[in-house]
Amino acid sequence: MLLQIVSALGVVVVAVLACSAYFYFSNKILDLALPVKDGDIRAASRNLNRRALVRPWLFVGPALFLLVVYLVYPVVATFILSFYDRAGEQFVGVANYQWALGDREFRQSIFNNILWLAVVPAACTFFGLVIAVMTDRIWWGNIAKSIVFMPMAISFVGASVIWKFIYEYRGGNDVQIGLLNAIVQTFGGTPEVWISVPFWNNFFLMVILIWIQTGFAMVILSAALRGIPEETIEAAVIDGANGWQIFWRIMVPQVWGSIAVVWTTITILVLKVFDIVLTMTNGQWQSMVLANLMFNWLFRGGGDSGRSAVIAIIIMLAVTPIMVWNVRRANRELKGH
Amino acid sequence: MKKSLLMGVAVAALFAGAASAADLKFAPGQDARFNWKSYDEFKAAHADLKGQPLTIFGPWRGEDEAFFMSVLAYFTEATGIDAKYSSSENYEQQIVIDTQAGSPPNIAVLPQPGLFADLASKGFLTPLGDENSKWIKDNYGAGDSWVGYGTYKGKDGKEAFYAFPYKADVKSLVWYVPENFEEAGYKIPTTMEELHALTDQIVKDGGVPWCIGLGSGGATGWPATDWVEDIMLRTQPPEAYDKWTTNELKFTDPAVVAAIDEFGKFAKNEKYVDGGVAAVASTDFRDSPKGLFAVPPKCYMHHQASFIPSFFPEGTKLGQDADFFYMPTFASHPELGKPVLGAGTLVSITKDSKAARAFIDFLKTPIAHEVWMAQSSFLTPYKGVSTEAYANPQMKKEGEILTSATTFRFDGSDLMPGKIGAGAFWTGMVDFVGGKSAEEAAGEIQSAWDGIK
Repeated sequence: MLLQIVSALGVVVVAVLACSAYFYFSNKILDLALPVKDGDIRAASRNLNRRALVRPWLFVGPALFLLVVYLVYPVVATFILSFYDRAGEQFVGVANYQWALGDREFRQSIFNNILWLAVVPAACTFFGLVIAVMTDRIWWGNIAKSIVFMPMAISFVGASVIWKFIYEYRGGNDVQIGLLNAIVQTFGGTPEVWISVPFWNNFFLMVILIWIQTGFAMVILSAALRGIPEETIEAAVIDGANGWQIFWRIMVPQVWGSIAVVWTTITILVLKVFDIVLTMTNGQWQSMVLANLMFNWLFRGGGDSGRSAVIAIIIMLAVTPIMVWNVRRANRELKGH
Repeated sequence: MKKSLLMGVAVAALFAGAASAADLKFAPGQDARFNWKSYDEFKAAHADLKGQPLTIFGPWRGEDEAFFMSVLAYFTEATGIDAKYSSSENYEQQIVIDTQAGSPPNIAVLPQPGLFADLASKGFLTPLGDENSKWIKDNYGAGDSWVGYGTYKGKDGKEAFYAFPYKADVKSLVWYVPENFEEAGYKIPTTMEELHALTDQIVKDGGVPWCIGLGSGGATGWPATDWVEDIMLRTQPPEAYDKWTTNELKFTDPAVVAAIDEFGKFAKNEKYVDGGVAAVASTDFRDSPKGLFAVPPKCYMHHQASFIPSFFPEGTKLGQDADFFYMPTFASHPELGKPVLGAGTLVSITKDSKAARAFIDFLKTPIAHEVWMAQSSFLTPYKGVSTEAYANPQMKKEGEILTSATTFRFDGSDLMPGKIGAGAFWTGMVDFVGGKSAEEAAGEIQSAWDGIK
């Protein structure tokens, strides 16, 4: 234990020293290469300008390098792999993409992903907003908020295990230990094996993600609501607006930016949803999603890097527009438009 | 001063010796059930490897890991090799990652020949040589079958022996509680026809004959594949079984569809299974056998491999509180004899070294088998071991099924490509139990297989 701590600290110290040394010496070298001497004023000012041009790149350089190594290179490599056979050796053209279009499981995954996209971001944002508005008006609001936020601290797998017990089914005349089935039974219904009901099981899995992410939406939106000037609401009250109108006409338009942030963040998360499906069903009973399909093709029994690369590319293509839109909007906001 | 220093060293050496000897479960040379001669010979032949590193990756976790460590202790004691064992819950994925990332362990242990075949075709395995394949052929029960399960095509397209079988499971077993059978007056069925009759009889008597649980988290469905494979071996010649595992015989073939339907006769009958059909897919395979031991019994029979006693309630005495009978064959198919369905782990070299070769040699010593046999559910087809070493008569009985087997077939789903054997076949079985017809389920598995290049 002590050894690990010491070595971790050592690594931190070495890394900080190395970074400092890099900046110090690279600047030194730059100064030497483009000297500013007293004698030649014109050359000195030219060199000063050049220094100013190069210096930012010295700072950005390492980050840019890492970005290329860890992001650009894998994307390019994946894209190239998607045109090769399962072992990544023989060029097969667009065969993998053709396969994807024709594959039943792939289409199932796309359909399920769209379902997730349609339901989860909307539900999280809606519940988050409603809870944020409501908890602002009650004295135990902060306690309620803490409780709603708590699932955020649980890992996806941990949350899935918790929900597994809620959906648990016991056969025959056994006592139902699953919460949902126990409730159903109390009201005279027949217990179901919830996670193996095709189509609907998707929604049972989505509930888990909604449960985890609503807290995130609530916190962001709650902060945004606090930012609404009191005057506008007061003015609306004086003009005779009711609660419903205040919510939709005054509050929602003013926090629209935050709603967009929450919505897009959760959308990106949903496109990558993996852990929950792996833990609950592993894509069985027609609950497959793209990320799990990719994982299965790559790792189940030796793997097919070509087909899994195709799926990875498709997930990336789906995420990109949302990312671009998000970044653009953030830039606009920063510029104050 | 010098004297006291020497004394100190001597005492330290003494303690070190005592400590490492205490790590061995059975003191070498003492228990007469074990073949200590093989241990001494191995020790003498591999004395020059002291301090060399060896990494082993395998599927054994929990209890099994402890048992394997106790076996490994003899290996490290004999050779002085610094052997490290690691495992993963998702060993199938882990080994693919490790080999493709270029940092494989020296030794990989996996229960899936299909996965090994895949690794071999990508050039990640080191051939073990004819000497080892010949050894298996000569010393293992149904040795030819075992050699076949370790022989794959390499990256160069040439067949070679890559994986050494070590530790086996017998799958063709039906577990029951003798007391329950006695009380109800049931007899062990000797034919499949009798098994059907017994099943009906139990229902007529107001009981539930079977406990079937296919649940296994992300692997849900695999117990059903064992059923179908057992039935295949009992309705089709072994050659057809081999063709089935390579898809020369399609899943949609009437022979396969009939085997699935035969399984459905048990699993898809509301009255035959504890909890009804809906419980079959959702009950965890580890929980499923517990119904046998309920009072009154929730079920009378449970089809599962030889490893299942690990999940019996604590304190269950095998042979007394629980026993098994051989999954019977059809009286209408006398020509098929008594086939045995089994499985096992195979050991392959993923990064060659002298220490890795020494480990393979170690597996050829009876002691590497006997130490585990004497402790827990470890079966071996190795004919050279002393069967007296088995921890109980039940295991001895199972072990003898293996060593005397003439038709031994490996778990079919482990032979199929991972996408089928660890994917579509599972899903198909779950769908089948969930209401699809055998034709539909088989059709979907076949189309998944057609989808693989």
